[in-house]
Amino acid sequence: MKALSILVLDDESVICDACRLVLGEKGHAVDHRLTGKSGLLAIERGTYDLILLDMKLPDMDGMEILKTVREKVPAACVIVMTGYSTMSNALQAMKLGAADYLAKPFTDDELVEAVEKLFAYQ
Amino acid sequence: MTSSTKFENYFHVFRDIIRAMHSSTSLKEVLNVVVTKSADVLDAKGALLRILNKETNQFDVRAAWGLGERYLSKGPVTTEKLLSDPTELHKVKIITDIWHAPRVEYPQEAWNEGIRMMIDVPLAVKEQMVGLIRIYITEQRGFTDDELDFIITVAEQCACIIQRVQLMENQQARFDHLASQMDKMSSLGRMAAGIAHEINNPLAGILLYSSNMSKKVSPESSLGEGLNIIIQETQRCKTIIQGLLEFARDREPQMVLANVNDIMEKALGIVDNEFRLRHVTKNVQLAGGMITTMLDGNQIEQVFINLLLNAVHAVEGNGIVTVKSAVDLEQEKVRVEISDNGCGVAENDIKKIFEPFYSTKNKGTGLGLAVSYGIVKNHQGDIRVFSMPGKITRFTVELPIRTQNFNTRGDHESAQHPGP
Repeated sequence: MKALSILVLDDESVICDACRLVLGEKGHAVDHRLTGKSGLLAIERGTYDLILLDMKLPDMDGMEILKTVREKVPAACVIVMTGYSTMSNALQAMKLGAADYLAKPFTDDELVEAVEKLFAYQ
Repeated sequence: MTSSTKFENYFHVFRDIIRAMHSSTSLKEVLNVVVTKSADVLDAKGALLRILNKETNQFDVRAAWGLGERYLSKGPVTTEKLLSDPTELHKVKIITDIWHAPRVEYPQEAWNEGIRMMIDVPLAVKEQMVGLIRIYITEQRGFTDDELDFIITVAEQCACIIQRVQLMENQQARFDHLASQMDKMSSLGRMAAGIAHEINNPLAGILLYSSNMSKKVSPESSLGEGLNIIIQETQRCKTIIQGLLEFARDREPQMVLANVNDIMEKALGIVDNEFRLRHVTKNVQLAGGMITTMLDGNQIEQVFINLLLNAVHAVEGNGIVTVKSAVDLEQEKVRVEISDNGCGVAENDIKKIFEPFYSTKNKGTGLGLAVSYGIVKNHQGDIRVFSMPGKITRFTVELPIRTQNFNTRGDHESAQHPGP
């Protein structure tokens, strides 16, 4: 599997760091941002293969960010993460174009599997 | 006293009583007027009004007039003495020999008060005795039909108002209980959802780091063991929180026409392993000709699984879990019962059993029944428990028979009972 360029967008730095550790060990390049605004800016400027997006950010709603990403950078895949794991949340995110869904808390294996499944054929 | 002044007297007393009944919201005030006026009109020394306390099955004094403290301090009267003869439910009983009447419990005290005669007037509604007025007279004398008629009429009115007030009090108590229950449930749910969300973030950090680290050490090392425990316990927290969110989520059921028998079969299939592992016998009696009704199959399945697992976990060796279903066309309900012969629920616990976080299981989250309760209520159904510890514990789920959604009930009755 090719090395991916990944952005983690979560206001909890411990989660950003943990994702960077786990995915970095698999050879991926991981960036992170803690707010919706700075995240969107990074997404528009950078070339990310994948965005790990927390649905609840202090300044913006995750669904809104997801919509913007789908419009402006349709090539980027989005995996949605949230602590409020309900089926309707997941469905809504998938409808808006998220590629997958991770309910917090998740293990390193679950994270790696979700990422690798998306890029298995690339 | 001439007969016309006597009549006038009755009329005034009667008017006072009726006025009290209509103007006063307090039962106590009405009863006070009744004892005072009825003693007054019969030239009695005093009167005592007792009302049946259904919980203790005793007649408690609720109003008294004209009697000494010493006499009043005597305890309540047992029902057997007063209800010995049901044919006298609507009759006035005149006691001329207070020393030898079985229903007079304290003749010496009565005699000391100067009482020589008593009149018992039952307060009865239909065939039910709700209370009794006893009037105390200081000299032996006869009573005219008018006097007895009067006192019976007062008693009848009084019995009706007692029953009406009791009914209102019951309804109020029931409503208060329900309201506080709903309030408690919903505020707990909201709080739980907030906490769950806040806790999932730190848990995510713990789980990601610990699962990542555990791969870097030997699983046999003490470090590896410790990390595995951290992972397992974090997963446990995740399960608890998911249950919490499930409870807090006040989701609308996705109603489709479904058969509770099919749902039960599915639920039984899912918990089958648990039955076999614990050697628990299944006794399934599903009703033939089960009617389909509007319900959310996934949610109801969850309720059945919760109840089945509770039953399986409650029984020990030689446990039997019985599952029954039935159609009640008269009440337009389908009914499912899950009973077991396990440890049961103590009387004190029954009230709390559907509250969130209440559990008797070592590893229970206390959410299974709370979630089930919420689901059944969202279906406008009913969930009840009956338990005789050590013998039988039965959970009953009743769901209304609906062929359309709740808000569009429409002509479901004609769909249910097709004409000839």
